[in-house]
Amino acid sequence: MSTTPDKLVDRYLKHLEVELDDLPRDRRREIVDEIAGHIAEARAGLEHETEADVRNILEGLGDPADIAEEARERFEVQPPQPAQPFKPGWMEITALVLLLIGGLILPFFGWVIGVVLLWVSNAWNVRDKIIGTLFLPGGLALPVFFLLFAGNTETGECGPVISDSGRTVIPPACTDSSGSTNYFGVALSIVFFLIPVMTTAYLAYRLRRAPAAPALA
Amino acid sequence: MVASGKQDALLAQMRKGTLQYCVLALLADEERYGFDLVRSLAETDGMVTSEGTIYPLLSRLRRDGLVETTWRESTTGPPRRYYKLTAAGQAALEAFKGEWSRFRDAVDHFVERKAV
Repeated sequence: MSTTPDKLVDRYLKHLEVELDDLPRDRRREIVDEIAGHIAEARAGLEHETEADVRNILEGLGDPADIAEEARERFEVQPPQPAQPFKPGWMEITALVLLLIGGLILPFFGWVIGVVLLWVSNAWNVRDKIIGTLFLPGGLALPVFFLLFAGNTETGECGPVISDSGRTVIPPACTDSSGSTNYFGVALSIVFFLIPVMTTAYLAYRLRRAPAAPALA
Repeated sequence: MVASGKQDALLAQMRKGTLQYCVLALLADEERYGFDLVRSLAETDGMVTSEGTIYPLLSRLRRDGLVETTWRESTTGPPRRYYKLTAAGQAALEAFKGEWSRFRDAVDHFVERKAV
């Protein structure tokens, strides 16, 4: 395969680019360009290039990680910090609890406080925060109220209603006397119950792997 | 040897610290392009372990104003970036030369038991 040496060089330069990622852009460009030029010069000097020649050139240049370390030292750039395990604080715990059951403790406002804490905390990124806010507003308060409401309809609104014209009508939502409406209501309640639970579980999971530094906003 | 790890690190630091003056010295008489410069350094045993690490140094020297660069056409391939010593680079090299010979003689005096 005649393209193998080119592939080796490409891979090397890409690897170098990645290793130099934390350097200012112009410096990274300069170093990568110069090393690409070095490789081109070395290859141009070969009579009959073999894959081994190219491998020797790259080995002579050294490991991209070593070049990057040298560059960081020369430019006094701090090496990338290893990700530290994030220790969730009271704010994150409170946010999760309030998002889930805050609406039950203090109707509506409990959940709102949870949302505020969710957005104030650095532990989650914007995507997580949006998920936490949208699924579901009110947390478990919504399915609980829904269940109460569904319970009421069984005896209340689903019963025959006397209409304005004095005739007895069955509300359209409860037309099936076999109770299929209630099945639907119960299913919906379960879904509405599961969504906030799953969202909270997801946010708790994200908390364990969150960076200690402020998350990208 | 117990201290060999430490010693290796120390030698690496010394090499690193003096390498930039070797680069400046190589540029004292003539301008050179990167590959040429790196090859000259690598020819001398013990100075450079990874040739690629010289490029960050060249970049730094340029930003510090000790060298300046010019692109020139090459007869064999793409244009080359030539490195040339600036007045500041020349001054830095001269200052280092004086310090270095005093330092080298002093160390030699003890480790080689030579008279200064």
